[in-house]
Amino acid sequence: MTAVKTAGESGFAGVVKSRLQQLLAFASLIVIYAFFSFASPFFFTYGNFTAILFSAVVIGTLAIGTTFVIIAGGIDLSIGTGMALCAVMSGVFLVKLGLPLAVGVPAAILFGGLIGLINGINVALLKIPPFIATLAMMLVAEGLALVLSDSTPIYFNDVEGYVEISTGNLISGVNFPNAVLVLLVVALIAGGLLTKSVLGRYTYSIGSNEEATALSGINVRKWKIAIYAFAGLFIGLAGVMISARLGSAQPATGMGYELQAIAAVVIGGTSLSGGKGSIVGTLIGALIISVLNNGLQIMSIPQEWQNVILGCVILVAVYTDRIRKKEA
Amino acid sequence: MRMRKALAVVAGAAMALTLAACGSGNGAGGGGDGPFIAIVSKGFQHQFWQAVKKGAEEEAAARGARVTFVGPPTEQDVEDQLNMLTNEMAKQPQAIGFAALDSRAAAPLLQQAKGQNIPVIAFDSGVDSDIPVTTVATDNKAAAAEAAKHMAEKLGGKGKVAMVVHDQTSKSGTDRRDGFREWMRQNAPGITVLDPQYGGGDQLESANITKSIISANPDLAGIYASNEGSAIGVIKGVQESGKQGITTVGFDSGKAQIDAIKNGSMAGAVTQDPIDMGRQLVDAAIKASDGEQLPKTIDTNFYWYDKDNIDDPKIKATLYQ
Amino acid sequence: MSRPLLEVTGVGKSFPGVRALHDMRLDLRSGEVLALVGENGAGKSTLMKLLSGIHSADSGEFRLRGEPLSVSNPRQALELGISIIHQEFNLVPHLTVAQNIFIGREPRRWRLLLDERRLNTEAGQLLERLRLPLDPKAAVGSLTVANQQMTEIAKALAHDPVVLIMDEPTAALNDAEVETLHGLIRRFVGDGTGAIYISHRMEEIRRIADRVTVIRDGEYMDTLRVSSASTDRIISLMVGRAIDTSAQPANVRADRDVVLEARGLRTTLLTDVGFDLRHGEILGFAGLMGAGRTEVGRALVGADPLTSGSIVLHGEPVRIPNPAVAARHGIGYLSEDRKRFGLLLEQDVKANITLACLRERFATAGFVNDGAARAKAQEYLGTLRIKTPSLDQITKHLSGGNQQKVVIAKWLAKDCDILIFDEPTRGIDVGAKEEIYQLLNELAGRGKSIIMISSELPEILRMAHRVVVMSEGRVTRILSNNEATQENIMHYATLRPDRNAEDAAELGISDVHTGHSRKAGQP
Repeated sequence: MTAVKTAGESGFAGVVKSRLQQLLAFASLIVIYAFFSFASPFFFTYGNFTAILFSAVVIGTLAIGTTFVIIAGGIDLSIGTGMALCAVMSGVFLVKLGLPLAVGVPAAILFGGLIGLINGINVALLKIPPFIATLAMMLVAEGLALVLSDSTPIYFNDVEGYVEISTGNLISGVNFPNAVLVLLVVALIAGGLLTKSVLGRYTYSIGSNEEATALSGINVRKWKIAIYAFAGLFIGLAGVMISARLGSAQPATGMGYELQAIAAVVIGGTSLSGGKGSIVGTLIGALIISVLNNGLQIMSIPQEWQNVILGCVILVAVYTDRIRKKEA
Repeated sequence: MRMRKALAVVAGAAMALTLAACGSGNGAGGGGDGPFIAIVSKGFQHQFWQAVKKGAEEEAAARGARVTFVGPPTEQDVEDQLNMLTNEMAKQPQAIGFAALDSRAAAPLLQQAKGQNIPVIAFDSGVDSDIPVTTVATDNKAAAAEAAKHMAEKLGGKGKVAMVVHDQTSKSGTDRRDGFREWMRQNAPGITVLDPQYGGGDQLESANITKSIISANPDLAGIYASNEGSAIGVIKGVQESGKQGITTVGFDSGKAQIDAIKNGSMAGAVTQDPIDMGRQLVDAAIKASDGEQLPKTIDTNFYWYDKDNIDDPKIKATLYQ
Repeated sequence: MSRPLLEVTGVGKSFPGVRALHDMRLDLRSGEVLALVGENGAGKSTLMKLLSGIHSADSGEFRLRGEPLSVSNPRQALELGISIIHQEFNLVPHLTVAQNIFIGREPRRWRLLLDERRLNTEAGQLLERLRLPLDPKAAVGSLTVANQQMTEIAKALAHDPVVLIMDEPTAALNDAEVETLHGLIRRFVGDGTGAIYISHRMEEIRRIADRVTVIRDGEYMDTLRVSSASTDRIISLMVGRAIDTSAQPANVRADRDVVLEARGLRTTLLTDVGFDLRHGEILGFAGLMGAGRTEVGRALVGADPLTSGSIVLHGEPVRIPNPAVAARHGIGYLSEDRKRFGLLLEQDVKANITLACLRERFATAGFVNDGAARAKAQEYLGTLRIKTPSLDQITKHLSGGNQQKVVIAKWLAKDCDILIFDEPTRGIDVGAKEEIYQLLNELAGRGKSIIMISSELPEILRMAHRVVVMSEGRVTRILSNNEATQENIMHYATLRPDRNAEDAAELGISDVHTGHSRKAGQP
């Protein structure tokens, strides 16, 4: 039968194709890395390698969480200022309330989960479009961060071990910041959950076809809330990581981080219309942004041009995604 | 076929990068074989920082040095600034110019710079650390004294003068307060300076303070405001009180203050000179990279401006809207 | 004999996984009505989409009045004189009849402002000329399906087309309305114009068409003069074999236990719907478009909220607020619109088959046991004879029949006892259709209870043990296997108790809500 024969051809290619965007993103990362290595003598060093990884931690963490939301067909604009709010909450727990590290840090991360939970309820139960619901949350979080911190940074000088969460080295003497380890570990966990867990499968299903998923007897509302809440944990973690790196919770920071995180997700091949994407891709996306920022600055490209080039990279990434879809 | 297309896209992206690199590689100010100085500022888009950048690039061009100038999009982006400092240090500059958004967050990096024997020159407000070899900044005391001198001239050396100051804890606040008061005490015996009042640099609060000072002192002759926010507040307060004939002097610039000076509701103000700051910063960095000893602080220019000289190109270059 | 008005030669078109048309031919002469017949999936709709420029042909040639014709978008098709009325309405419900008729080319004043008065006058004149009793100012959404169809036709004729193409224009019409439509068509065709009439209904074709072109599986079969061709001849050309009129519902028995009772179901579109579903039974649901059959299916699984009524399952009253609860009770709904409501088109076959049962059957501590899920899915590929190169194939690349089987596999994996099939063979080619029928019979034989909603009467007659006939959101009759005939079903499917007092009386309905019928019929 003709129908089956043509289907068969695209079947084998289909498997390759589904990995193509990731391969492509990875190839781009290598090409860009190689390019900068030739272009500047200062780029290809171990110190700069860790610097690139280090600067990808916060955006990477946010991007991993938001990958879930975007695959499920949503969007989360509250991650940037939400992160600032969680950093402030970390300061409230550890500095103002004096809780021990082992309590305060998980509490700050869970607070991120709470932000996500509220987003999820607004989106899934109250049926507010995700763009609006999380835009509102972005403003709420921005304001609350200022209120709770009195608009001044909260310093963690007296919290022993806090800064080490980010800048310390697990193996003393080896320059490999803990923050990078944290990023890699959570990426591994998130990747496992996305591909192997029920939550992950439903994330893809809801993003592919929400109505069909609901008619298949899956409680879509419940799972959407779960997805947003889970993604919220990464907002909390990012808040801890940035405040540990800075040694202070900066209440007014964070605006704009959401767009960079979304850019990382998109460069990594996740479709904004949902149903497709991967954590590996997102990680590569975050690294591409980080490598570009680092490399362009090391080449002393004027700052104005750096954003122009970053914008072009996003366009190229999304365009290749479109080519891929057309051929599919 | 598909793979070829993919490769073409990757290659295209790489070419775009190369083009961008070639097209703008000379964008870094200056040239020549002199020392390479990396400047990480507190901001980038704001006119004040663009003026610092201009001064730095001019000086570098004149001295055969190479400078790069970067800064985060807003003064809240502390993490961005740290990434920028890290990246600049990777280029192994001969000296670093740095205006910290948060001194404590930058401490480990400054330590690292010290370890690599890269001299750090603090600029603008300075860095709260003993690592920088010098701090290039406006001498706020001297600038405030300049404001006092012009105030005394306008008042003919006698009368009652009030002060609306933006902050009683920061160094810029105390210096601008003390510089004004001390000059008056020493050079203008006929002028009485009232106790300073603090408005936090907030326009509304400064306006309220101004009104209460005026009603408490019917014979008030002049008011001094220590920064842009205070100055706008003072202008508003005087206006709202309806009182005529009070001489006001301010600090910094900004559209509202410039307009007030142009229409005569403010006598004049003192402005810092960001271009000079950029020049002095590069000068200090070149000296530091040559191993020269530098003074603990280097003062940059400031100017008095009023209705008469506000359009002078030299002055105009230092003002921001 | 003059040259044809519209000529189609050697046209081919393929979609990923399906060859929709191959060497298609057709010629329409000036002044005639040409019927185009073929089974679902034979390629009629694809041909229409090529003519209206929605798709472009891979090969072949179109000629209009002898001139080569190339259409790149629907607007251009209209400008060239080809008006097409698709099966799905292209009307904006919030706009009025007049606004819909002139949508996209509204009369303007000074180029910028809309001239509403002229719009209504012109629409009124057009409706009068067409002898359509429609109010130009009525909102289309408030009209009956039949009147919406008439609006669609008025819109098509407002362009003064050379060729008018209608895809199943009578699906929602009763006999009187069909007659009105045919009158319109007869007045339209004349020197220099022609119409293509796509329909399943042989007796309508006999009444309106001059010639009939038969296509099958995307290929041209033959063109016959209607006056000299027997209906049997046309049908056997369509299905490619002598029609097997002996095929009858299997295992019809009256003594089955009731599994599900629906009593007095009401939603915004349903009125007092009640019926029993029995163990191992295939219960057919027949009715015209918009009769409420799909709504019954959706209401049963909680996809649409019930305003009143009760559902009794295995003797226990149950409340089903959403499909998740329905699934827990073992009720699965297979939507008529597979692509929209049934499948994750961009996901692979395995993900689709295991979607509904993932959590109960293949997950421990929130993690999926991929090996077991894969094995189970593989098993269904075998038992349902799903043709796919692998479980990792993206579902959108499968043919319609195989996609349908994937949806069935999903519900079997969930272990449902009650399966609601809404148009189970829509868009499926002939061979696969037969397989789906066999599958339904097998499922019923294994004790599953099946509700089969279908617009195709032959399908109902062939499969259903009993037939629930619906009209205007009500059940008008439940027919047993030996009562069910084409005529009988059509009679009950076209009763209009809300509009027609005699119909209401026949159904014994006294509390009809519309003022119209009260005025006419009640004492």
